[in-house]
Amino acid sequence: MHNIIGKKVTRVDAYEKVTGKAIYGDDLKLAGMLHSACRFTDIPAGKITKIDISKAEKMEGVEAIAMYKDIPGKKRLGPIRQDHYILVDDEVFYIGDVIAVVAAKSKEQACAAADAIEVEYEPIEGIFDPAEAIKPDARHIHPDFKSNIVVHYPLVKGDINKGFSQSDHVIQREYRTGFHEHAYIEPETVTAALDPTTKGFKIYGSIQNPFTTRKIVALFMGLNLNQVNVLGSTLGGSFGGKDDIINYMACRAALLCKMTGKPVKLTYTREESMRESYKRHPYILNYKVGFNNNGLLKSMKIDIIADSGAYSSQSFFVTWRSVVQATGPYEIENVQTDIRSVYTNNSYTAAFRGFGSPQIIFAQESLMDEIAAICKISPLDIRKINGFKQGSVTASGQKLSEHKVSLDEVIEKATEKSTYHKKAEEYKNLNLNSTRYKYGIGLACSYRGCSLGAEGTDTTSAIVSVQADGSAYVLAGLNENGQGLRTTFCMVASEVLGIPLEKVAFLEPQTGTIPDGGPTVASRGTLTGGNAVIDAAQNIKKTIFNVIKDELKVSDINDTVWENGFISVKNNKSIAPISFEKAVENSFKAGVNLSAYGWFKAPEVSWHEETGQGNAYFTYVYGCQIAEIKTDTYTGKIEVLKVTAVHDVGKVINRLGIEGQVYGGVAQGIGYAILENFSIQNGIIKSPNLDEYLLPTIKDIHEIDAILVENEDKYGPFGAKVIGEPTLELASAAINNAMKMATGKYFYQIPLTLERVCLGNDLVKPSRQSEAGLSTKKRKQAPRVSGVKIITPSNLKEALELKSDKYKIISGGTDVVIDLRKKNEPENLLNIFNLPELKSITVSNNEISIGSAVSVTDIITNKTIQKHFPMLVDACSLIGSKQIRNRATFGGNIVNAAPCADSAPPLIAYGATVLVQSKNGKREIPLADFIVTNYKTQIKPDEIVTAIIVPIPQKKFYHSYYQLGRRNAVNITRMSVGVIISFDNKNLIDDCRIVSGSLFERPQRISEIEKILSGKLLTETLISETEDPLHEIIDKAIGKRWSSVYKTPVFIDLFKDVLRDIIKKNNG
Amino acid sequence: MIKINLKVNNKDCQLDVDDSLRLIDVLREHLGLTGTKEGCGVGECGACTVIMNGETVCSCIVLAGQLQNANIETIENIEKNYTLSRLQELFLKNGAIQCGFCTPGMLMSAKALLDKNPNPTEEEIKEALEGNLCRCTGYIPILNAIKEACDK
Ligand code: FES
Ligand code: FES
Repeated sequence: MHNIIGKKVTRVDAYEKVTGKAIYGDDLKLAGMLHSACRFTDIPAGKITKIDISKAEKMEGVEAIAMYKDIPGKKRLGPIRQDHYILVDDEVFYIGDVIAVVAAKSKEQACAAADAIEVEYEPIEGIFDPAEAIKPDARHIHPDFKSNIVVHYPLVKGDINKGFSQSDHVIQREYRTGFHEHAYIEPETVTAALDPTTKGFKIYGSIQNPFTTRKIVALFMGLNLNQVNVLGSTLGGSFGGKDDIINYMACRAALLCKMTGKPVKLTYTREESMRESYKRHPYILNYKVGFNNNGLLKSMKIDIIADSGAYSSQSFFVTWRSVVQATGPYEIENVQTDIRSVYTNNSYTAAFRGFGSPQIIFAQESLMDEIAAICKISPLDIRKINGFKQGSVTASGQKLSEHKVSLDEVIEKATEKSTYHKKAEEYKNLNLNSTRYKYGIGLACSYRGCSLGAEGTDTTSAIVSVQADGSAYVLAGLNENGQGLRTTFCMVASEVLGIPLEKVAFLEPQTGTIPDGGPTVASRGTLTGGNAVIDAAQNIKKTIFNVIKDELKVSDINDTVWENGFISVKNNKSIAPISFEKAVENSFKAGVNLSAYGWFKAPEVSWHEETGQGNAYFTYVYGCQIAEIKTDTYTGKIEVLKVTAVHDVGKVINRLGIEGQVYGGVAQGIGYAILENFSIQNGIIKSPNLDEYLLPTIKDIHEIDAILVENEDKYGPFGAKVIGEPTLELASAAINNAMKMATGKYFYQIPLTLERVCLGNDLVKPSRQSEAGLSTKKRKQAPRVSGVKIITPSNLKEALELKSDKYKIISGGTDVVIDLRKKNEPENLLNIFNLPELKSITVSNNEISIGSAVSVTDIITNKTIQKHFPMLVDACSLIGSKQIRNRATFGGNIVNAAPCADSAPPLIAYGATVLVQSKNGKREIPLADFIVTNYKTQIKPDEIVTAIIVPIPQKKFYHSYYQLGRRNAVNITRMSVGVIISFDNKNLIDDCRIVSGSLFERPQRISEIEKILSGKLLTETLISETEDPLHEIIDKAIGKRWSSVYKTPVFIDLFKDVLRDIIKKNNG
Repeated sequence: MIKINLKVNNKDCQLDVDDSLRLIDVLREHLGLTGTKEGCGVGECGACTVIMNGETVCSCIVLAGQLQNANIETIENIEKNYTLSRLQELFLKNGAIQCGFCTPGMLMSAKALLDKNPNPTEEEIKEALEGNLCRCTGYIPILNAIKEACDK
């Protein structure tokens, strides 16, 4: 039994986080600190012919501009191969490359100067497809490495050809996975300050692996390791992502710090972060597999190409894990795997939670279900037949005998807890009776090598130091990334020493005060660091024991019990226990040392490079996830209803922490599978911020059941193994398998976007010539709001006096500020948000007038509007988020005339008019005419929209509205359809208004269809009669657009369902 | 430069600030209230959420020039006399915090909701938090914490 291990323990660093007191990197301010900004390249590939800093240099506040030539130490660096330019020389390799970095008194000055640096290029045609880059005649991206292949790992077991010839079936499938962005909510930030004591630097910031940062900065600046002291700040998420990029940012800050003699901070906006940071490797995976009628796998040939992007970074290690695990947890006699990682001119790729496993699991676990279907056996049986058992031999020839092989156990637990069979039956029946929505359940399982394996030296360190009053410090050579490492380590020390957790404090580690613990990666924190803490605490325990053993009259430490702050003798009540404090006091008196280093060195592992054979990892974990989904077959939207996640973790240390890891990992897995589409075309990033790169919101994550299986491992602290990464790697395959059940279709690529689900492929907006990667057009550097002047008139009259083309109106600002930030040009704003004349909602006999500065929240909650205009309320509730609706104004939504403005279609249906005023008078324009086309209205420069007037319907309307977005909240509306219909006393359609959003040039009524419906009985037959004419109308209007293959059929289906909904409502 | 008068965490402030500043800059740079975080700058992540005149807003898209007479409440105002609010305690207890970067925004959204509606449905909680992204927790512990806060 343990005192604290296995309990639910609140994080030791939670108090500062819940009060806003925790100091994250950007919260730090040092006296005299300068700010800096990067000058990124304008093109993804090309030679630099000229860099002109003369204008930038002279700008106000600028103190230094650093470039390649200023680097005092190593100019190219990298974790394994030194190919990365931290500041480029005369060539750029991807859109995140940095040409220069500016330090100035303020952030704004630094950004402005970065914008003012002129660069000229000779563009080179970029290589953006790894399959092109790997061709023998492809241009070498880094000619000095003589090949675009960064690394090739082969693995050979048995004889695949013999295996194929003995198989009843041989099939071949290709899978693809996309770039995946870490999207930690905190963008990167780093600060460098001079350290006069060492004549080196102190580095602060959002740093994942302080020892790596130290090494890279020392090499770059030409210093000894002991001249760089790295002090990490509280880290706002990392997931493997704050490694290389933060090291290189630290180098730039240190260089500027040296040039100016002042502390320098470099903080990224989200766009800069997306631009420079590395992603998860996209893989192209080719699986050829031979198997028998009974499902037994005989032979497998796997070819994988990984896109390494512009630099090699961690590709060596990431793809190595893939080669080890590529077959999944299945024993196959004959295997040949080849994985090649190749340079392209895309964003570079490196470590991300999962580390080379989510890609292969997606492919290989999807494949297993397809094989099962061919053999007409269940997904469970195929896994049972082939899955690892105790003593099985892996593809790399490792016999799994040193730990409990729990694959069967996790699968059984998962099927039992999710009631897999019952659910499968239930969904099958549901699907029989539903045309639009289909349900599915699917599973995926995996095995995963723990810690670094044969990819690197696996050691780590910790210090435990007991103070004179019996309290203790823990310091570790590993880093708190938000995952809860500090809490785990404190718990371990508390357990070993038998003292309450409150007595143990975690000390911020500095690279100068503790030996290198290696990187906090590969989910190795608990496993290796926990062991080091145990080692240190045990040493202290022994020292104390030697002091008190006479008093306790025992000679063997194993005869003592250390718990609840007391040390007692096992099974002997007659000897009085000694309090820990007393024992410590005595030890101090005795002059012994109660501080100890702990060290952990992982057990031996081995790898043979040519054959891919060896004992790759010293232990493994097993997991199984079952996903239940519902998909809208009209639109392709997927809802993940539930994920049951079963993981063998060896031993639970902190239950609260470990469950949190499961929830978080599964949520990231869901995002990876269906939402997160980092889009880079011709080397240019098309999803530069979180409005286009979509993370799951709270409305997209439903139920997650975290189930932990414990098979203690002989090498783990208290038997614990790992959890961080396995949680992320399974969901995409499980969801894909569930999608097969739901739709009857196999999918071979993630993310499962709307278009992919409907059409089988993604739709890509064709790039303009200027975006083909060859244009040298100057791009904006850091997006920001600057050069803005704002005046706030006190009443409408004053506002109208002022309004001319000199001023842009700002009201809630939810569109305007974002626009200002993107354009980053000076602007004069006229603030009308608080004008009392625009703030009211007034009802007269037969119309309602809504002031243009009324917030969307006020619209939704207004009783009159709810009563008479329910479709407007439905649509407005879907605008942005709660925060946005609180601020966004009704007038703004209209006047911006975005094609996706949600309020416009319903307002047009209700026959709204827009009241615009100028100092010379007012005019009322029907909304349908007011919006001319996307982002263009009839408003004149001297006019302001003051109100929207909507006639109150004099008859009963039934309504139905559908908005399509990729996720369940905070969407950019992809398409919307709304219908209001009134019926006469014979139940014939009397008045019918159909509106669409985001379909045509502007939101509008579809009067041709309205005519078809008018005067008729609304039935299924009538509904189907609208199909062809509607098709024709849409085809004529948008048929040539790239998106129409998706939009046309989807709109028609949605429209028909909206009508059916009205039938339902009308019937009662 | 503009002059603004506003109330922040019950204190009156008078500031001379650049027109181009946003509310988040005013809080972090001028008032030293660094508990409010910036994650995207475009109103998408909610890390910068504060309560303005009783309603949550993204402080990254409110301009300083629009702050005249505003009443702002930030994360720094939730703990009173070194005692955590019940909501904060429940965040701790439920493991609703990992890296903590989303936490201030989450708490402000949750507080604004509970201030108005002490007994929200699950749907209403999700509505209130839909604009707050969390990359670490999968939201489940956060939802549980808020649900527990409204259990009567
Ligand atoms: S920083 Fe304001 S919403 Fe993301
Ligand atoms: S706890 Fe890290 S983003 Fe929410």
